[in-house]
Order: sequence, then C-alpha cells, then structure tokens
Amino acid sequence: MGFNLDFALSTIPTIIGAIRATLLATVLSCLGASALGFTFEIIRRGGGAPGLAVRFLIDFIRSTPVLAWLYFLYFVMPFYGIRLGAMTVGIMGLSLYYSGYLAEVFKAGIDAIPKGQQEAARSLSLSRRDTLVFVIAPQMLRNVAAPLGNYLVSILKATPYLAILAVPEMLGRAFDIASETYRYAEPLTVAGILFLALALIVAYGVKRIEQRLLASGRR
Amino acid sequence: MSMFDIWLGILQGLGITLEVTAYGLVFAVPFALVFGVAQFVTTGWTRFLVTAIIEFWRSSAVVVLLFVFYYVLPVMGVTLSALTVSALVLGLNTGGYASQAVRAGLQSLPAGQREAGMALGLTRPAILVLIELPQALVAMSPTFVNNLIQLVKATSLVSLVTLTDMTFRAKEISQTEYDPVAIYSALLLAFFAVCYPIALAGRWLEARVNPHKGAQRGI
Repeated sequence: MGFNLDFALSTIPTIIGAIRATLLATVLSCLGASALGFTFEIIRRGGGAPGLAVRFLIDFIRSTPVLAWLYFLYFVMPFYGIRLGAMTVGIMGLSLYYSGYLAEVFKAGIDAIPKGQQEAARSLSLSRRDTLVFVIAPQMLRNVAAPLGNYLVSILKATPYLAILAVPEMLGRAFDIASETYRYAEPLTVAGILFLALALIVAYGVKRIEQRLLASGRR
Repeated sequence: MSMFDIWLGILQGLGITLEVTAYGLVFAVPFALVFGVAQFVTTGWTRFLVTAIIEFWRSSAVVVLLFVFYYVLPVMGVTLSALTVSALVLGLNTGGYASQAVRAGLQSLPAGQREAGMALGLTRPAILVLIELPQALVAMSPTFVNNLIQLVKATSLVSLVTLTDMTFRAKEISQTEYDPVAIYSALLLAFFAVCYPIALAGRWLEARVNPHKGAQRGI
C-alpha cells in the first residue's frame, strides 16, 4: 500500500474547504489573546496583590503546554455545567495560552515608550485611564505590531491542536477522511503542505506590513 | 483516588516526557548549530537551500508534522518507533527555531571580531570556531533556554502517537476516575514543576548575559 497520489489530490478540495474554520480560529484566538494579554499586562503594572497574582499566572501559563490547557478547559468546564462547542473551547484555550506570551509583548511595547510621555500626561493632569487610552496605547501599537504579527503566525500553527477536540478545521477534516477511508498518509500529507503554505503566506504578509510600518515610522 | 494518587499516576509519565526531550535535543542541537552556521556563511543557491530546509521545520505546524511523519514514513517503507519519530520531529522543529538564534547571534557580532581574527592570520573556520561561535552562543543562551522549554511543552504531543508521557497518563486516569478538575490541574502543575525551574535558570542567565537590560520599568 504505497502513497496514492491520485487519492491525495482528490482530498485537496475537502481539506481546503475547512480553511475558513482554521482562519476563523486563528483570528478570534489572536483577538482574544491580545485582549486578555493586554488586560494581564495592565493589571501586572498596577502592582499590589492582583499584580503579583497575574505575574504568577503569566509564568504559569508560559510553563505549561497548550495541549494540557485545551484538555483542562474541555473536560473541566462541563464538570461545572458549562457546555460550549468544541470550537469555542478551542478558541478560549488558544486565547488563554497565547495571552501569557502577548502580555510580554505589550510589556516590551510599553517599556519602549519614552518616560517623558507619561510625565507629560501627568503634568496635564490626565487620569491614569486617559493616559493609558490616549497616550500609551496608540504609541504602543506601533511597537507591538511586528511581534504581534509573529504571534499571529504562531497561533495559526497552533490551530491544528483543535483537531484533537474534534473541531473540523483543516487537520480535523484530514482525519475525518482518514477514518472514512483507512488511509492516513495522503490526507495528512495534504494537510501538512496546506498548513505550511498558509503559514508562509501569512508570515510574508506580516513582514510586508511590518516594513510599511517601519517606513512610515521613519518619516 | 486522592489528589496525591493522581499526582503519582501522572508522574509515572515523567520518564517518557524527559526521554523524548533528551532524545529530541540529540536532533535539535546539531541541527541548530549546523544550519544556523550554514545560513550565516553560505550565499546564493546554497543559502536558499539551507533556508528552505530550516523553513520547512520551523514554519510547519508541529502537530501536523508529527502526524505526517508518524503515518507517512511507514507507507514509504521506513519503520521507526513512535519514540524516534517524535524525537525527530519535535527535535528538528525546535532545532529550526534555535538555528535562527544561532544565525542572529553570529550576525549581531561587530565586524571587528572577524577582522581581528583575519589580521592574526587565522583561517575562516578557525575564526568561526574560536572567535565568533563562542560569543554568539553565550549571547543567545537565554533564547536557547526558551527553545528548551518549548521542546518540553511540545512533548505533550507524543501522547497522541501512543507514548505514555504525563499527558497520556492523565487521559488514562480520567478513563477510570471522573475527576477532571483534579486530574488536569495535576497535569498542568506537573509541567509547571518541570518547566518553571528551567525558566528561572533562563532569567538568571539573561541577567548575567545582558546585565543592562530589564532595569527599566514604567507606569
């Protein structure tokens, strides 16, 4: 039973059909992780007991595998009567896992803003919230755009983890074909090539945007 | 089953987790050194080929890569144990990431280092081994520690190709005990116990290698 190229080619349309689920999971997880990561970083900067707790939580998230988090959410939430679809759980898991990394990105982005900006805001008697929203956040966005783009690619490459929760994204669809036909090599190879191509395309797009931002920053 | 029994049950998988990590390093370290240096010294088509090989291992989703190699190699007539395939895939994926740190470390050295070597009449390989690599590897050592943590966390994937690591043990225990909160918390804690000390060692290294960084703190 060798590698059947015709069969491999015939699985392409079905697997590509699941690209929407892959991209949806990527984008929503990235947004969720950004929102959560930014919140974590603000709480961490606030200091005190909440700051310390979040600092530990970030370290904890970064020291544990994403697969363990996905299992945790997938099996623990129903135990407490929370029943959500596998896709939702998967997006929550990826958001939580990557928030630990994005918090560090936001930290670096805020640290890179000159201290005078904050002092100027204080001398204008802006509140802490207004300083954050109108002075810090807009300047931070340019600093974090490039690393955020890199994490977008990382999250894309983590979406096939959702196949383990039976989410019908590209790898999940490949496994569906495999279990129907008892042929694993062909659909998985197709999924592998498609994921590599998608990751390279998105990485290229991120690089282009990064160069544009750099160019506009120099002006 | 008490919380303690669950912990002990999961720790029975620690051996496999560490074995895959160690075996993975056997692939990762040589790959990172050889390909990182190759990308630094080569030009033209050779460099394109080297970059393509690195990008294959680095830009592919590691979940998909593991399944592809696990199912495709036997079809091609190559039979490897699940342990070897896992170590190969996880190791070369990590090696791909680490190779970029090796290359970046070499590129960031001032040209004067190489020129001084040339002025002393050293050959190019001697300059590389005696002058450039030692400095680049020390400067990049915190990144290598992060790569190691990523490798340990990625070993959770081997539970999907029948190896009885900690993640696999957690799933086994959850088949006989309905206590997802205790089981999956214990799994997360077990990984934290392995990875967090490595992360702390990495921070200590970072403080030694880059003493000027990390002093600033805003807001």
